[in-house]
Amino acid sequence: MRFDRANLALGLGCVALALLVALIWIPMDSTTGLIEKVRRRMTIGDALAPTLAAGFLLLGGMLLALAERPKTVRRLSLKNLAFLLMLIVILAVAFTLMRWLGPVLAGTLTEGGYRPLRDTVPWKYLGFLVGGTAMVAGLTALAERRMTWRGVLIGLAAALALIAVYDLPFDDLLLPPNGDV
Amino acid sequence: MGWLYYVWLGILAVFQGPELLTVFGLPIPMTLAMVAAGFLLGIAVGSTPGLAGPMAMAIALPILISVFGFSPDALLPVFGFLIGIMKGATLGGAVPAILFNTPGTPDAYMTTLDGYPMTQNGQAKKALRVAHFSSASGDTFSDIVLIVCAPFLAVLVERYLDLPEKTALLILSLAFIASVIGGSVGKGLISLGLGLIAAYVGTGEDFYPRLSLGTETLAQGFPIAAVVLGVLIVGEVFKSLEDLWTEARYRRTPQETPQSGDQSLHWADMRRLFPYVARSAVIGTMIGALPGIGSTLAATLGYTTGRARHAKSGASPRFGKGAAEGIAATEAANSSVSGANLIPVLSLGIPGNAAAVFLILAADTIGGFNPGPSVFRFTADTVNPELVIAFGLFTCMMIANLLNWTIGGAFMRSMGFMSRIPKQLLLPVVLLLTLSSIYVQETRMEAIWFTVGFGVLGYIMRRLGISPLPFVIAFILGGKLEETGRQAFAATGGDAFFLLNSPVAALFVALSAIVILLSLRKPKEHRS
Repeated sequence: MRFDRANLALGLGCVALALLVALIWIPMDSTTGLIEKVRRRMTIGDALAPTLAAGFLLLGGMLLALAERPKTVRRLSLKNLAFLLMLIVILAVAFTLMRWLGPVLAGTLTEGGYRPLRDTVPWKYLGFLVGGTAMVAGLTALAERRMTWRGVLIGLAAALALIAVYDLPFDDLLLPPNGDV
Repeated sequence: MGWLYYVWLGILAVFQGPELLTVFGLPIPMTLAMVAAGFLLGIAVGSTPGLAGPMAMAIALPILISVFGFSPDALLPVFGFLIGIMKGATLGGAVPAILFNTPGTPDAYMTTLDGYPMTQNGQAKKALRVAHFSSASGDTFSDIVLIVCAPFLAVLVERYLDLPEKTALLILSLAFIASVIGGSVGKGLISLGLGLIAAYVGTGEDFYPRLSLGTETLAQGFPIAAVVLGVLIVGEVFKSLEDLWTEARYRRTPQETPQSGDQSLHWADMRRLFPYVARSAVIGTMIGALPGIGSTLAATLGYTTGRARHAKSGASPRFGKGAAEGIAATEAANSSVSGANLIPVLSLGIPGNAAAVFLILAADTIGGFNPGPSVFRFTADTVNPELVIAFGLFTCMMIANLLNWTIGGAFMRSMGFMSRIPKQLLLPVVLLLTLSSIYVQETRMEAIWFTVGFGVLGYIMRRLGISPLPFVIAFILGGKLEETGRQAFAATGGDAFFLLNSPVAALFVALSAIVILLSLRKPKEHRS
């Protein structure tokens, strides 16, 4: 068992984060302090609980950096970060399609825009269907390292199934993006 | 009104509640149907590598709430379904472990050690029968302990613990969870601290929502579903997708081995297995009663203890070579965790595992039932509706056990095909389901982004060996900890040392420090 630089870095990073939270974020972003006097009675202010939380973070970071010698060391590699980046790009594209495809098409093709159409077929399903399919197909392609029609079809089927589960039987449930527009 | 009367009311709440349909003039209670549906779904989910009980609970919750609404009548059908999933998934996890050497759930890993060799020896069905017998026995034992212990523990807490002691007990629970989950107390505390900080964003007593950076988005705080599902489910999906991306595991197709010989589980077999089942059931129940220690440790301890006894007896085959006793010791231990895990939830309001988190989430969303010691108030003149729900919950658990003993085995043995579903297709669909269920609840894209953000956090935590469970439990308990602390401070007249003035509270605080120090002395391998 030995100290490891990855653990030391994680521990010190958490110590820095805890100090940042306790000394800068909490004092600047809470209107009451740790202990307040209200109508001649002492009460706990809004800053106390988050400060204690930062204390746990600080203690954990210090223990990790100074006291613990784990048998196995975990660290984030560049490969992990590359995967995360690809994942976020796929999700961002899918969410953009989900959120904006319907409004943009409605804005281009109709006079009234998307809002009056958001409870009509096919408009209300357009963004979810395309965005959901893109998400499933994209992530399947990421895992398989190649784009396949099977992924696209599974995505389409999953999106259709969710429409059948959430939207068809319930009038009060909204699929993306119909709660935002 | 005595406790027996409440037990009766709980049973009636299940059987005389809303009806699903009438068959030949016989009404089928909705709760009963939901327990059965949840249980069967749970077995299917547990049998599918890559899926887990909490995932199914997360996806089912918004649908259930849409169907049943927010009235107190919704509580038992929803709880029944979730409990069914919880129990079914534990049982189903053994299926791919035995048939294909792939544990359906992490706690079924030890089952592969003897289950798969039995399959290779042509005894797959017998191995599945052993797993079912042991799992159902352990689960039933654990539920009986829960039903007996939780009310007494809750009554003791209500009678003897005042506000400072309750605050100290919450601190002790959080310290315990941070120390025992995973292999590093430092990482546990980091997870805990981050969870508490997230819980305090956009909340507080002042008009200005604290830690909101002056934005409207953060002023509402983080939606609880986005945090819990993000860290627990989405983070796990991200990690599993990366595993597929790097290792291309999906290319392996499970192979079937021809089966032959006697596949029945005879009375003599059960008698031979019983000591292993009994010992593991006790171990699993004891571990399950402590918040934060999961079924994986219970399975490991049950297996290790069983192996020592088996080696002493000199019987063959040995553990690891296809001994039915190995499956029995593991399955009884991991299944007996699920019932006992609800002891801290119902008696203290402290969730001990992911499944308990979703039960609390359901109670919190529907309203009318606040898990904790106040539930078990045996009122004399008026009916305490929360207590009726609690006994209704116990009734649901016993119904699930009955289903487990009767149809569970046959259904479980028919689920082998679930292991063939490719994970690379399943996981993106699970993600779409999870994100859609979040949107349906919150109806704003911000909630989806929050979920993805917490999913990234959950992914990073897993990669760094930080267990996400202390984060989630701290997020759920953060508000309660602050509220109890505020009340205790006010009740003691602004005494800054209220946690140290009462002997019991001081003992809890001291135990918190001791549990951290003791955990620090023995750093272990990470067990996530």
